[in-house]
Amino acid sequence: MPDQLEIDNLTVSFGAEGAPPVLDGVSLGVAKGEVLAIVGESGSGKSMTAMSVMKLLPRGARMKAGGIRFDGVDILGADERTMNRIRGDRVSMLFQQPKRMLDPTATVGRQVAEPLRRYAGLSRHKAADRVIELLSDVGIAEPERRAKAYAHQLSGGIAQRVMIAMALAGEPELLIADEPTTALDVTVEVQVLRLIATKRAELGMSVLFISHDLGVVSSLADRIAVMYAGRIVEVGTTDQILRQPQHPYTRSLIKCATLARELDGSLFVIPGDVSSARSITKGCRFMPRCPVVEEAHLHDSCDAEEPPLSGCANGQVSRCWATIETRRSA
Amino acid sequence: MLYLLRRVVVLLTTLLLVSFLVFMLPYLTPGDPARKILRARTGDLDLDPETVERLRIEYGLDLPIMQQYWNWLKDALGGDIGISYTSGRPVAGMLGSALANTATLAISALLFALVVALILGTIAAVKRGKPADSVITTITQGFVAIPEYWMGPLLVLVFALNMGVLPSAGWKGPLWMILPCLTLALRPMSYFTQVTRASMVDVLESPHITAARSRGLSFGETMLKHGVRNALLPVVTLFSVWLAGLLGGSVVVEVIFAIPGMGRMLYQAITNGDVPIIQASVVCVVGLTVIITTATDALYRLINPTVRTSHGTR
Ligand SMILES: Nc1ncnc2c1ncn2[C@@H]1O[C@H](COP(=O)(O)OP(=O)(O)O)[C@@H](O)[C@H]1O
Ligand SMILES: [Mg+2]
Repeated sequence: MPDQLEIDNLTVSFGAEGAPPVLDGVSLGVAKGEVLAIVGESGSGKSMTAMSVMKLLPRGARMKAGGIRFDGVDILGADERTMNRIRGDRVSMLFQQPKRMLDPTATVGRQVAEPLRRYAGLSRHKAADRVIELLSDVGIAEPERRAKAYAHQLSGGIAQRVMIAMALAGEPELLIADEPTTALDVTVEVQVLRLIATKRAELGMSVLFISHDLGVVSSLADRIAVMYAGRIVEVGTTDQILRQPQHPYTRSLIKCATLARELDGSLFVIPGDVSSARSITKGCRFMPRCPVVEEAHLHDSCDAEEPPLSGCANGQVSRCWATIETRRSA
Repeated sequence: MLYLLRRVVVLLTTLLLVSFLVFMLPYLTPGDPARKILRARTGDLDLDPETVERLRIEYGLDLPIMQQYWNWLKDALGGDIGISYTSGRPVAGMLGSALANTATLAISALLFALVVALILGTIAAVKRGKPADSVITTITQGFVAIPEYWMGPLLVLVFALNMGVLPSAGWKGPLWMILPCLTLALRPMSYFTQVTRASMVDVLESPHITAARSRGLSFGETMLKHGVRNALLPVVTLFSVWLAGLLGGSVVVEVIFAIPGMGRMLYQAITNGDVPIIQASVVCVVGLTVIITTATDALYRLINPTVRTSHGTR
């Protein structure tokens, strides 16, 4: 059975023709009912992947792909009308800064009611009742009062719950959550993650969950895709990624996540930053920051050619010469 | 409520202050007010001292200043704002008709400017960086630089003298309004367009627009429901500044097109030293300005809930 969402060889670039793309040959699949997480540092191309699926890329973005299909519908070739029917109804989205995602001049109630009146064709009165139901359904206390509030009167957590209420009102088949808890306090973060997990189970929807923090996705995701500088560098089940990470970048991310939790204060930071990958045209993009390149004595191959995404029998794939070498000699 | 009360107090205080300053006007410039009045009336430089004295008593100019101000204020509150020195007619009637003409001209010109600007500004913002944007931006920048005393005659030349489709001057009906309206509208229209474009670009790039699109709203619907209102805020403010400014009358346009409005009346009153008209006009214009500013502020609060609550008057 084909995946519910299939992204095939997606490339996105900005600016001049020939400028290094921000997404480079990304292929991913999300099965029906599955939670796939995309993890990677800020700037690695996670949001661009999400916005490509929604076909809401920023101005000036150029998208190329072998195909993007959702439940058999060709997203890549779809016109605006088709997309407007898919967005919000079959595929919904959550964002990183919920307060900025609400219209500052409209009340919460008006915004939540909008799709209800449009799609479900509810009367003003019925829609208002449904808004209260939806708000209390995502755990908002005093929904009547909140419905009358404006975005700037809400906390980040409440605003994200409002966004969730709106996103789930149409009972979508796929939820794309782009760092929905990054801007929230840790306690609120846990509550919102739980809410998303509950709703996923309730509605049986698939989730594409994006985060820069492996710790956040570990409890939620069935599979994890690790992204670096516009490339997928490793994909596997949550267990595989957490227990036997193959790519040095994945191992660094695990270190970031666990150490940040255990030793509060002394964060582990991966030396260097993503921008070091920009100048690399032929070798491995992670090499300038890679902790294993020296000891593995692979400097030549890492420098000469980008490693392919290659896997072992259990389905886990990664993009690292050292791993390929180990596997070959084993 | 408290907010409204505060604004009314501000309005009254401002008017009182301005009325006092304006009242003092003839006393601040050198010369005897009684003589000035007579001179304004007769144009005669050689005044009979007895006549001057009679007028001084008739107008109460011999009383202490504060007493005079009090009398003037009492009369003004009772609706009697004096008699024009030159025409001898009540100032109230003259002011009323002049203000009506000027207001008609100013409001029509600004509404026209606003409608055109909203359309052009939105097109420029949506097509930013494309040829349509460059054309609109260039044209509006050009209009800003063209003064009314240049644009007015140019329009008269083309539409009245060459094509003969519109009257060149006078104030007799809607047809006579077109050219002065256009002349007056072009500069504010250009400014409104530029501001609309800038605030539209801001709105187009704001996250909540993307979020609304992600909920299945088409681009047009998103702009109508979540864009226009946000983009309108700066334009509303600018509109009110222009309205307040134009209600004082545009001397240039009113003189070119022979329109009996505030600008021309005030201009003539100043050249003739017709103090009651000057006093009444200035108080009236300042009062209107404060009222318009207050109304704009209230409207702004209505459109933008962020202001409403941050001032603690929910
Ligand atoms: N509007 C834009 N114009 C040019 N480059 C952009 C734009 N938006 C994002 N990018 C670039 O695309 C890359 C990926 O961005 P993004 O997908 O937002 O990363 P992530 O979500 O993983 O933090 C970044 O390097 C960023 O600089
Ligand atoms: Mg992002």
